[in-house]
Amino acid sequence: MVEVGVILLMAVFALLAIHSTLLRFAVIYLAIFSLLAAFLYLLYAAPELAIAEGVIGSGLVTLLYLSALKRYRVYTIGFIGDGESRQLTDRYISGVEDSAALAKIKDFFQRREFEPQVVFVSRPLEDALSDPHFDLVISETPQGLIIYGPQDSYAVVELELMFRMQGAGAGIEFVRYAREEAQ
Amino acid sequence: MMSPESSIIRVVVGLLYPFILLLGFYVIINGHYTPGGGFQGGSILASLFIARYVVFPVEDIDSEILHLAQRFVLALLLLGPVVLLFTGAVHAYPDYRAAYLTLMDILIGVQVGFGLGVAVLRFAFFKGVGESWRF
Repeated sequence: MVEVGVILLMAVFALLAIHSTLLRFAVIYLAIFSLLAAFLYLLYAAPELAIAEGVIGSGLVTLLYLSALKRYRVYTIGFIGDGESRQLTDRYISGVEDSAALAKIKDFFQRREFEPQVVFVSRPLEDALSDPHFDLVISETPQGLIIYGPQDSYAVVELELMFRMQGAGAGIEFVRYAREEAQ
Repeated sequence: MMSPESSIIRVVVGLLYPFILLLGFYVIINGHYTPGGGFQGGSILASLFIARYVVFPVEDIDSEILHLAQRFVLALLLLGPVVLLFTGAVHAYPDYRAAYLTLMDILIGVQVGFGLGVAVLRFAFFKGVGESWRF
């Protein structure tokens, strides 16, 4: 009886891993899938396989996937809140996450097989711009969003073009800056 | 690219590190009584390399030396049964059978741990296309 439940849960997590748009979520779903597989081996009285599956499937392979994602595919977007307050409350962050402009930017990078990762920071702008971890910095002002993109990045050009062609660029301003070379 | 990791990960992995080491050796040494054995314990030991990489991503382990050690242990692993098993030494002294199994488990554990560790380190510090990546 328990076995059937575990097998069904495994199917659910496998489907979730396939259908999730964010690769990072897919990796976590696969780890849970492996953990359930290990539990299933335990139920079928194969503890040796359970140990191997638990260690390799949900430990080593997950961390390998995560380190691979960290190296190549993550496009980090720094988001700086409204100038005066810089109070990053939960309500503010979820409001920004649901906003149409950010959804459009995320969609842009997802279509190019990148993993957009939005980091909310409460730091002065110059500090965020000089941080080599941010590939794109978005600053919210009372007039609208200002997107700071590095000069040598083609993605920012395309992004600007997309906003202009869709006519949705009202209140969004693009600024290019020279990025210092990564070490 | 290499960022200082968050203090949550650092503290938790630092706390768990000796316990993972202990579990790995426990699984290896008790391989012939309880579930587990050389391969499983070796994978647990290899996960230590990854845990270390996650917390402290600096390339200060020479994977060449690890690879050399792994090949040396592999040679011992092939030599052990040839000398001890095929000549009948283990069958002649049944009291030492557990010692023989433990020795083999330890060799397999070190071999698998070093092998997977080398694979992981080579992958993590792979200096290929990633260096000049720009989109």
